[in-house]
Amino acid sequence: MTRIPGLRRLMRIERDRAGVDRAVDDELQFHFDMTMRELMTNGLNPDDARREAERRFGDIQRTREKLATIDRSRVGRERRAEWWSGVAQDFRYAIRGLRLKPGFTLAVVLTLGLGIGANATMFGIVDRLLFRPPQFLIAPARAAALYFGVTNRGKENLGTSVSYPTFLDIKANTSSFDAITPFFVDQLAVGEGPATKEMKIGVLGADLWRMFDVAPAIGRFFTPQEDSLPTGTAVTVLSYAFWQTQFGGRRDALGRQLSIGSAKYTIIGVAPEGFVGFSPDPVAAFVPVTAESNAEIGPGLRLGRNRSPWYQNYGRIWLSLFARRKPGVTVAAANADLNRAFQLSYKHMLTVNPKRTAFDRARPRAFVGAVLRDRGPDEDNSAKVASWLIGVAGIVLLIACANVANLLLARALRRRREIAVRIALGVSRSRLLMQLLTESLVLAALGGVAGLAIAQWGGGVMRHALLDDEVTIDSAFTDPRTLMVVAVLVLAAGLLTGLAPAAQTSSADVSLALKSGGREGAVQRSRLRVGLLVLQAALSVVLLVGAGLFLRSLSNVRNIPMGYDASRLLWVELNSRGTPTDSVHDALLRDQLRDRAAQLPSVARAARAITVPFYSTWIVSLFVTGIDSVGALGNFTLQAASPGFLETMGTRLIRGRAFTNADAATGPKVMIVGQSMAARLWPGEDALGKCVRVLADTAPCTTVVGIAQDVRRTSIDKTEMHYYLPSAQFRPDQGGLFIRTRGAAPEHAEEVRRALQAIMPGASYVTITPLSTIIAPEIRSWKLGATMFAAFGALALALAAIGLYSVIAYNVTQRTHEMGVRVALGAQASDVVGLIVREGIVIVLPGVALGTVIALAAGRWVAPLLFQVSPKDPPVIVGVVATLLVVAIAASWFPAIRASRVDPHEALRAD
Amino acid sequence: MRTADLDLLQGTLDLLILKTLTWGPRHGYAVASWIRDTTNQRLQIEEGALYTALHRMEKRGWLEADWGLSENNRKAKFYQLTAQGRRQLRAQTAVWTEYAGAVFKVLQTA
Repeated sequence: MTRIPGLRRLMRIERDRAGVDRAVDDELQFHFDMTMRELMTNGLNPDDARREAERRFGDIQRTREKLATIDRSRVGRERRAEWWSGVAQDFRYAIRGLRLKPGFTLAVVLTLGLGIGANATMFGIVDRLLFRPPQFLIAPARAAALYFGVTNRGKENLGTSVSYPTFLDIKANTSSFDAITPFFVDQLAVGEGPATKEMKIGVLGADLWRMFDVAPAIGRFFTPQEDSLPTGTAVTVLSYAFWQTQFGGRRDALGRQLSIGSAKYTIIGVAPEGFVGFSPDPVAAFVPVTAESNAEIGPGLRLGRNRSPWYQNYGRIWLSLFARRKPGVTVAAANADLNRAFQLSYKHMLTVNPKRTAFDRARPRAFVGAVLRDRGPDEDNSAKVASWLIGVAGIVLLIACANVANLLLARALRRRREIAVRIALGVSRSRLLMQLLTESLVLAALGGVAGLAIAQWGGGVMRHALLDDEVTIDSAFTDPRTLMVVAVLVLAAGLLTGLAPAAQTSSADVSLALKSGGREGAVQRSRLRVGLLVLQAALSVVLLVGAGLFLRSLSNVRNIPMGYDASRLLWVELNSRGTPTDSVHDALLRDQLRDRAAQLPSVARAARAITVPFYSTWIVSLFVTGIDSVGALGNFTLQAASPGFLETMGTRLIRGRAFTNADAATGPKVMIVGQSMAARLWPGEDALGKCVRVLADTAPCTTVVGIAQDVRRTSIDKTEMHYYLPSAQFRPDQGGLFIRTRGAAPEHAEEVRRALQAIMPGASYVTITPLSTIIAPEIRSWKLGATMFAAFGALALALAAIGLYSVIAYNVTQRTHEMGVRVALGAQASDVVGLIVREGIVIVLPGVALGTVIALAAGRWVAPLLFQVSPKDPPVIVGVVATLLVVAIAASWFPAIRASRVDPHEALRAD
Repeated sequence: MRTADLDLLQGTLDLLILKTLTWGPRHGYAVASWIRDTTNQRLQIEEGALYTALHRMEKRGWLEADWGLSENNRKAKFYQLTAQGRRQLRAQTAVWTEYAGAVFKVLQTA
């Protein structure tokens, strides 16, 4: 059957239920009339004829219903087939139309692709940070990370870490949880010899396996017996990926030995593919917390006077705990239970360490919180910024949609005559709408594919450049959650962009369009397009203001005087890995490493240190004559440094002298203090020459010999009270090195590592970390905000500029006639240019005003994420407004020039 | 036994209708009259069943129907064979001939 597309079949009436019934009745009526006429012709009277006709026919009612049923099902099927063929036809029509205009198609697909890609990228990140529960986790709603708060000097330190004895106390004294286990990720050397590599190792209690719905790929998981005190059993479960890459997925990996950190572990199993526990990243292997702690910390604590083993030492705080509430136990009940147990543990700790903050002042508390760290109370700003960026990406998509709608609208206007002809030919308006929507949906779907490609690339860039590889982002093409979001976005974008031209079409006046040329009504119709432009300009302003604020924050953060040159420093850490040493050799080795490093051509200086900014701090008791309690004045952090340390770091010495080789172990005790510390301990006095007693009030005087510039080490918001002791006089056998390179530090890391590794004894090794890498997470949120707001803002601005250009250019073409008249009447080229450019500015101005209002109103919420910038920062807002106006002028400039060159003869003769 | 009868009749009725329509489009009444006249009223066909068969074959796509005017200028539903219907007629004719031949052969060997 051939069908004319879109035409209603005039002869077919049985389209609906009533129509079908009527048709059956008509047919049967005709049959009876004919039969009776024939019978009566043969001489029967009407009554007999009717009886005979009915006898011949059989059960009339039943037949009638049967026929109607058959016909209804036939009509339904025909209609469905027709609908589908319509869809297929619209689809082919759309594809053909788009292939005829490759430039237009490419522009639209790219525009939508950028919008959708931006959203998919941000979704991938925010989903990871905030929403997606760890894979395989049983009952995610009941699983929780445990949070602990202890108040110290009036300020509560909220965190997730506790000591092993506190874990044992909590486990013993709570009844709300059916599983409770430590879990954290440690960076440890894996393997032996030159193939040794530092990898992420999951450290966990045996309870963890019960919290996940997992079975080993091969072998088994470790048991509570293998995770029991005092030493645990050195067994390991490999991750699937590690098993595949290192053992080729062979079963005989089981039973083999694997060096992890300082010990050898027996491989007993392989975790299923994708299993990472609570880690945000892939890990290489899983080990029992008892065995790992026994190997890495050692049976006894070497430091301080308290030589209790690690599992009894309340002072060593490093475990993160995860738990699962029993079914039916409410969060409130679990919190009460946990809180009580933690307070009990704190009291117990006070009996062992009576010098810690008293119970009443410490106000210890504990509660269950989100498993995803970035949702917990100690989240960093990155997750917040990322959530903001989701909104920003949404705005970019809106702008992209507005642009595409604008382009489609312009196309619809050009096709007015074609559409009018089709309507006049009897193609239904609903079919026309379907056709337009099909076109925009096809465009959106292509945009979705482009968006996925962009998200794939963008996710990688974000991960490496901005998140320091701390978050795993799935491939956009295979992650079902991302695919679903993209599908929704495609649908939304397709409908949104198709709406304007569709509305345009359905209001089209056929006779007007057919009668008039292209010109009439066009100016009025572009009002919708101008409205879209105003919206675009407003949204661009909002994004650019955001970009400006974050860029200023980032520059403020970067300009903070840290007190050292992070970009040129490498931190060298020593890992003994079970190689037996003594303190004399340890001290000697560190001096040797420093001397070897200093000889390297790429190294400017090297010095020893025991703490690293934003990585480790060391606090000991200080005693100063005339001050009751130095500790009450705040935290004083120490650095043990070798001669040349301040120059290595780039920290200025304000007064006095630096350390020299004369400040030896046996020499007089000396220290250098930071400015803040000097001002705090001896306000109004000269700190040089003062006496400080370190560790005990009976210790001999340590004399202040120098005053150094302040440094920021734990928070970039504030400087720290910091002091330096000579390495030779404080823990000469501990710590590592800072190396100042001649160029950018990260480039020399490998070279330095190779040189230093060569003199490391036995299985021991060094790890080299650029200081900038350690500090990066501190400024991550501003960097993320600045980069993404700037990228999205620039994208939005470019899209808005293209939109403005296309509307102005279109208007100019429509008004060629008018321009011709103007020129003919004596208008100068500059008048015409001025007219058009003014028009561009007039279109953009309301958008700029609207955008500024929105930006000012939204400032309140973004303020906490900024750094020393007001959300109403005048330079930023003025700059953005100026940028928008410049862009408006630029976008209307070229069409204006074209308009000014109109030849009045041609313009007036045409049409 | 009775069901077998009906099955036979069903297939036979379809075949007769298809055959009737090979001479061109006809409405239901014409089909019924033609069958009755041609068989000299020996085949007693319930006309309700005939219409059911027509509609069912239309649904299957063997027949195509359209409204037109009858000899006496009345609106009537005309049925017409489709290509598929012709194929069906050929196939069923072959089956029927073979079947009838087989039955006839059995009856001959008395």
